[in-house]
Amino acid sequence: MTAATATLAANAKPVRRKGFEPAVLGLVAPALLPVLVLSVAPLLYGIYLGFTDARAGRNMPVHVTGFANYVELFGDADFWGSFRIGLVWAVGVTVLQFAAALGLALLLNQKLRGRWLARTLTLVPWAMPPVVVGLMWRLVYHPQAGILNSTLKDLHLISSNVDWLNSFTLALPAVIAVGVWAGMPQTTITLLAGLQAVPGELTEAATVDGASTWQRFRAVTWPALRPVVTAITALDFIWNINQFGLVYVLTQGGPGGQTRLPMLFAYEEAFRYGFFGYAASLGVAIVLVVLVVLAFYLRRMLKEAV
Amino acid sequence: MQRRTLLAVVPAALVAAGTAGCSSGSSDGPVTLRFLSLAWQKESIAANKKLVAEWNKKNPKIQVKYVQGSWDNVHDQLVTAFEGGDAPDVIHDESPDIAGFAAQNYLQDLTDLLPSALKNDISAQSWDTVKFAGGGIYGVPFLQESQIFVANRKLLQQAKVRIPTVDAPWTWDEYAEVCRKLTVKGKQYGVAWPLSAPVNKVLNLSLNFDGTFFGTSGGKTTVHVGDNEKQVLRRIHDQLWVDHSADPATVGMKGADPLPAFFAGKYAMVPAGVYFRQQVVQGAPKGFDWVTIPPLKGTSQHQGATSQTLSIPADGKNQKQAMQFISFLLNGPNQATLALGDWLVPTSKEAAKDPRLTTTKDDWNVATASQQNLVVAPYLKVDGFDEWKTKVATPAMQQYFNNKISLDALATKLVKDGNEVLKRYQK
Repeated sequence: MTAATATLAANAKPVRRKGFEPAVLGLVAPALLPVLVLSVAPLLYGIYLGFTDARAGRNMPVHVTGFANYVELFGDADFWGSFRIGLVWAVGVTVLQFAAALGLALLLNQKLRGRWLARTLTLVPWAMPPVVVGLMWRLVYHPQAGILNSTLKDLHLISSNVDWLNSFTLALPAVIAVGVWAGMPQTTITLLAGLQAVPGELTEAATVDGASTWQRFRAVTWPALRPVVTAITALDFIWNINQFGLVYVLTQGGPGGQTRLPMLFAYEEAFRYGFFGYAASLGVAIVLVVLVVLAFYLRRMLKEAV
Repeated sequence: MQRRTLLAVVPAALVAAGTAGCSSGSSDGPVTLRFLSLAWQKESIAANKKLVAEWNKKNPKIQVKYVQGSWDNVHDQLVTAFEGGDAPDVIHDESPDIAGFAAQNYLQDLTDLLPSALKNDISAQSWDTVKFAGGGIYGVPFLQESQIFVANRKLLQQAKVRIPTVDAPWTWDEYAEVCRKLTVKGKQYGVAWPLSAPVNKVLNLSLNFDGTFFGTSGGKTTVHVGDNEKQVLRRIHDQLWVDHSADPATVGMKGADPLPAFFAGKYAMVPAGVYFRQQVVQGAPKGFDWVTIPPLKGTSQHQGATSQTLSIPADGKNQKQAMQFISFLLNGPNQATLALGDWLVPTSKEAAKDPRLTTTKDDWNVATASQQNLVVAPYLKVDGFDEWKTKVATPAMQQYFNNKISLDALATKLVKDGNEVLKRYQK
């Protein structure tokens, strides 16, 4: 018995679980408390609300209704329509953003004159809150006074003013363009950092071996950049599908719901129509779907990387 | 990161709604009331602030603090304020919005608080626009909007059409005929219908032909689209796509968007609420001669009315004092001042007689007379109307006016999808 204990102790070499130390709690508390109060508690409350029929109203009774909200959600064509728009938006923005940001990052990685200035300017959209970005682009898209219409007119590309944000067909693409613009900085900067980590010797060696620019990119740069690409596209996707402020300011989900992203849909359910419980279940559903999509994506990317 | 910032909007709205909450428990001690005002035109803000200052001078024990709100987000602001238990003492809003809040028990039934002088001075039709949830009164109605047209007088005279008056209005048929006459292919249209938010406009005008869109039987409200309801829809659609007397390019526009082209003579008329005259006066080039076309006549000149309102929250601590302030703000002379500031029609009978509101200057006489045509809008009494409007009616009507679906397809959507939505509210 003693021998057994001894071996066990020897096996579990870095024994930390030496009983509970109250002092540790004191050390962790300052970090843990805000997380519990500000993140975990609201999250749990939200999940709870999703199982109730909570509605806006003074002294409104709240009943636990089990999965009733989720059953309703499955049959809610409006919500799935909005979810489809959300996916088009999130995938569209993420892919375009990535393509544009990679190009920009490769450019900024070159030894160009005035590179420091270009790199700084790249950050500008990042410094603007989404609401300001939205307002600014609303002016750009303005049918009568917008700079976009007047520019296109001067170039004789259009003959009459286009109402970008009120057109059933153009509103979503127009909003996606703004989304790409607004999210460019963090994607570019992350990719640029990744590019700078690509060992210069490898590229040089490849050049000596006679590899073309494209071959160098494929064989040297891209494999080194892969983990960064996986991380930033996954993050971008999460940010984009949860986007709210930008689109709320640009179109409020219009025209006729053509740009009603899932988050806008949930917001309207809660704050416009007063169905708090249902809106909470929508939030939970969005989280679940995003998790599933990401799990598949990350698994594939990581597998390929091995 | 940056995406998080909008989550801060909700608490921010709360803070905005509740900056000064000093109120004492006793009813005689000095109190401070918060008055959430949505006035937005310059003259209107000035008029409101002036009246508040006048009140504060006369009533040192009931001080009123003017809080500026905005029509754009008043609903969201009030939802959070009510839920947070910190609503302003006097709330400026409009009847479609307070219908929902009344159903949610957030607002005080004012029936027993109303002084009789105020009650008698406001027309019965206006009181109908604030009676919800079993007949209680959930706000004091004070400004109303009727639908008129603003026309370019020179173009009307050139086309030699009869200019209608309050006593001899146009019928819808005559109006359609006039629009055809005013249309010059490729150069000029008879009318420009900005229809980005078509629902209230269509529903209010449809009462010209007794189109009510909603019917209640056995305590259940359902959507109904018959011949009466189709009249105004079809007539506007015909102007756009059959007569070509209305410019299809304006269908996606908001109310004031066609103004520059109207001033330039491209459109002979624009439909609008009476307040629109202010924008015409302010924006018109020198020498531009315009005229207000009184409400059109179908089988009647009736139009659906809603009102701007002042309400008191159910949890308000100083309801009596709040009502005293409301009675002051909405008495005859003061309502006239507010109506002038907003270019709208007052609900007060006394105010309607104010010479400033009956003068022919800026067609105030036509605007004020149009109040006679207002009847309570049937949709005001429909629980879930807002969701029906946003999810079903707005997109469907936009498609119809863009000539993408037929009138029958529109009617089916409004009824079938609409009843699905209304069901949620009748549990």
